[in-house]
Amino acid sequence: MSKSVLCTCEDVTVDDVRHAIDKGHRDIESIKRYTGFGTGFCQGKTCLSAVARTLAERTGAPAGAVLPFTPRPPLHPVEMSLLGSVPVDESVPPKGGVPPVIQLGSHALRPAEPVPARTRVVIVGGGIMGLALAHNLAKLGCTEVVVLERGYLCAGASGRNGGGVRMQWGTGINVELARRSIELMKQFAGETGINVWLRQGGYLFLARTEAVAERLRASAELHNKHGVKTQILSPGEGRDVVPELTMKGVVLCAYNPDDGVIFPWPFLWGYAQSAQRRGVRVETFTTVTGFDLSGGRVQAVETDRGRIACEMVVIAGGAWSPEVAKLAGVQLPNAPHRHEILSTEPLKPFLTPLVTVLDSGLYFSQSMRGEIVGGMGDPLEPAGMNMGSTLRFLSRFSRALTEQIPRLGEIKVLRQWAGPYDVTPDNNPVLGRTPGLPNMLQMSGFVGHGFMMAPAVAERMAAWMLHDAQDELFTRFDLQRFRTGKLERETMIIG
Amino acid sequence: MRRLGPAAPEVTIEFEGKPLPAREGEPAACALLVAGETVFSRSIKYHRPRGPFCMAASCSNCLVRIDGVPNRFACQTPVRQGMRIERQNAYPSVKVDVFSSIDWLFPKGMDHHSMFAGVPVAEKVMATVARHLAGLGLLPDAAPPPARPAELLRVDVAVVGAGPAGLAATEVLATAGKPPLVLEQEDRVGGRDALDAPEDGRDGPARIPAGAQLRLGTSVLGLYDDELGRVLLAVQRDPEGARVLLVQARDTLFAIGGHASTLPFENNDIPGVFSGRAVADLLRRRRLLVGDAPIVVGHGPQLLPLAALLRAEGAAPRLVLHTGEGGQPPGTVQGTPSRAHGRTWVHGLSYRVAPGGERRVDCDAVALTLPPSPAFELLRQAGVKIAFRPELGTFTPDVDSDGRTSIAGIWAAGDLVRPGTASAAVEAGRRAARGMLQR
Repeated sequence: MSKSVLCTCEDVTVDDVRHAIDKGHRDIESIKRYTGFGTGFCQGKTCLSAVARTLAERTGAPAGAVLPFTPRPPLHPVEMSLLGSVPVDESVPPKGGVPPVIQLGSHALRPAEPVPARTRVVIVGGGIMGLALAHNLAKLGCTEVVVLERGYLCAGASGRNGGGVRMQWGTGINVELARRSIELMKQFAGETGINVWLRQGGYLFLARTEAVAERLRASAELHNKHGVKTQILSPGEGRDVVPELTMKGVVLCAYNPDDGVIFPWPFLWGYAQSAQRRGVRVETFTTVTGFDLSGGRVQAVETDRGRIACEMVVIAGGAWSPEVAKLAGVQLPNAPHRHEILSTEPLKPFLTPLVTVLDSGLYFSQSMRGEIVGGMGDPLEPAGMNMGSTLRFLSRFSRALTEQIPRLGEIKVLRQWAGPYDVTPDNNPVLGRTPGLPNMLQMSGFVGHGFMMAPAVAERMAAWMLHDAQDELFTRFDLQRFRTGKLERETMIIG
Repeated sequence: MRRLGPAAPEVTIEFEGKPLPAREGEPAACALLVAGETVFSRSIKYHRPRGPFCMAASCSNCLVRIDGVPNRFACQTPVRQGMRIERQNAYPSVKVDVFSSIDWLFPKGMDHHSMFAGVPVAEKVMATVARHLAGLGLLPDAAPPPARPAELLRVDVAVVGAGPAGLAATEVLATAGKPPLVLEQEDRVGGRDALDAPEDGRDGPARIPAGAQLRLGTSVLGLYDDELGRVLLAVQRDPEGARVLLVQARDTLFAIGGHASTLPFENNDIPGVFSGRAVADLLRRRRLLVGDAPIVVGHGPQLLPLAALLRAEGAAPRLVLHTGEGGQPPGTVQGTPSRAHGRTWVHGLSYRVAPGGERRVDCDAVALTLPPSPAFELLRQAGVKIAFRPELGTFTPDVDSDGRTSIAGIWAAGDLVRPGTASAAVEAGRRAARGMLQR
């Protein structure tokens, strides 16, 4: 069959690119994510210019609005065994990273027309939280909603995570939220018309110390009480689940076969499209510049495309929430922490569950496309917004991964990137009302697991907002708790 | 594809379990092509036939399994006696691949995001099928031997890329008593002067001046700024294996040219369609002629030299198709390729001519020669601004006429800044070196 192929690595045709443009993906980052072009072996070397020309021809976009996608290191595929040979000084904190500048809020891509002058709810942040909330509000009949996103959809942490979803948590409330989320993910394609490729391959936790093993045992007991089938396995039994693992240094495993992974990007598009179909406005490349506060309330949200008068505003900016809230004089206790991640060449499926070493924060899974996608926290990572990629991470991750699966030493890394965890003092979210500003609502602080919690949290938040339901979620995790000191700590954080 | 003249000693490799003669040290891709093996693997989604295109590790068309390691570039892996090569992603065989039916089921492309979404059983089936069809190679057979230790190099000036621009800069720096460290991806210096068709007025590659430290087979993979300060991540590959180089330089000149680009036309991805650089490189370095009756398509400084080189080596180009705007070079036909013909190897090309009208010419290879797409990735990672140039159809970095970027210590010259002639690259390299010396 005759095809005009632009990206031969991922078999993306000229028609695929045109189709994505016609579906509203008008910037190269979004076209890359929708079509998959540039995500394969060559990382766009052969095809990027040709896609840029197609975009310019199709939309008449001025040259200044045709921006390349962020080139991810490494420039050529490189084996993990080589990367692991890079020396790392683990006594000093990580520093810097590339690329230094992320082109968020690019003026060239900002739409010319003004934002709506008035609406009922403004949601700041077009990540998974904000879009899931918009979708749920619209479903309950509240369609006067404007979602503001500074970049393209997927520019923030929602587009940067590994797509893991699990019920193995350390507190009952998180177990329940995750379980509901997974239920909703199963219904997602039917509801929104977009596949998110949920694959329930399980999560296999590995513990290397007795202290961590004890945490796994205690949480497994909790899971079982909630009807989640987590089993405690010996390292040998763990190897029955993933035969390639060496289990080096591992004392105990916990395994829940119903956990899984999804593909993050379509999740955002699905929520956005579903909300938009019901009348919600999703405004990308639009930056919030301030709030009009008078009479003890938020009267309007100021943006670089004009002012939107509103009845309620929701801060759902993930790790960027503190800087947004600050514009209204509100201090949030959240702090961003960089977490790095990488993706390898695609392999035929061999790895079923997501594997994680809770002690070191190493995690890896095999995506539906066959890549090994994984990350690892850095104990010395300082707080602060930094989405740079480091050589240190490549080296630490490669060593940790190949210790568990030595054969992956031959596997080549195709790209690395980073995203911010939105960390709170007790590893639990910030939800509910803002003291002193009753119509500003908070929806952030999910410490790197917001993606999997969003469907359930947004469902409850929409009901709580519109029907003033008595939902304890929004008092239990409100901002007040940091004043009263009533904190319960979540201990099953990966990274 | 045929050999011209003598080559290295013959060895035997194993391809799909069968012995195949090959020449020691040549890329595995050459051995397969000469043996008439045109389809190396099948593509990831539609299982379309794949064979080498760029011969420069800038695409993925030549990936095969070599010695138990998946997804290796056949264009970059030197042949050794007893090397085992296997195809990938084809069932039951590359000639009869049942999954190539996907190519027929989706004639224009596919939107896997909405396909069967929400259709209860179909959705589940699709997810299972997609999972099993995804990916290219199988897990490696074994763990690699421990890597050689990384090497840290601290220098005043590093020049990345020993093509016309990089060598000219090196010459100026060496003459001024400041010979740089030169990192070159290929096994020889010269870049286009050594690998592309010789351009008018160029008499082969310049030499590396005395005093300069040269690392061949060394690709720069990243430019990081971390605990070590600004550092180049490079990998040097030689017969003993690969090792990581970490290079710290006060000034770095990037002269790495660009990547092979593509033009959208039907079947532009079938085996037998090569980048112009690949065709010239196969002739000059490997002494292999891609076809006796090729078609040369494209525009830019390589179009006529490539046609001339093919003629000089005994080929009779059927057509030299000029796709660029502006003046049509003598001896060419002005037009746009619309379709390559053939399934496992190209045997014809259709093209459109103004005003309206399509013609078809038979051939036994297509060389697609376009100005390269500047390899701006490392500059962008350093913080240099990148802009789209509609008149060139590519992105270019923001670099002044002296090779200076907005980032201190980062310089650029040659095709990387603006695709042009080799002579222009030499001038740009010299200016950048003088700029560095003035600092």
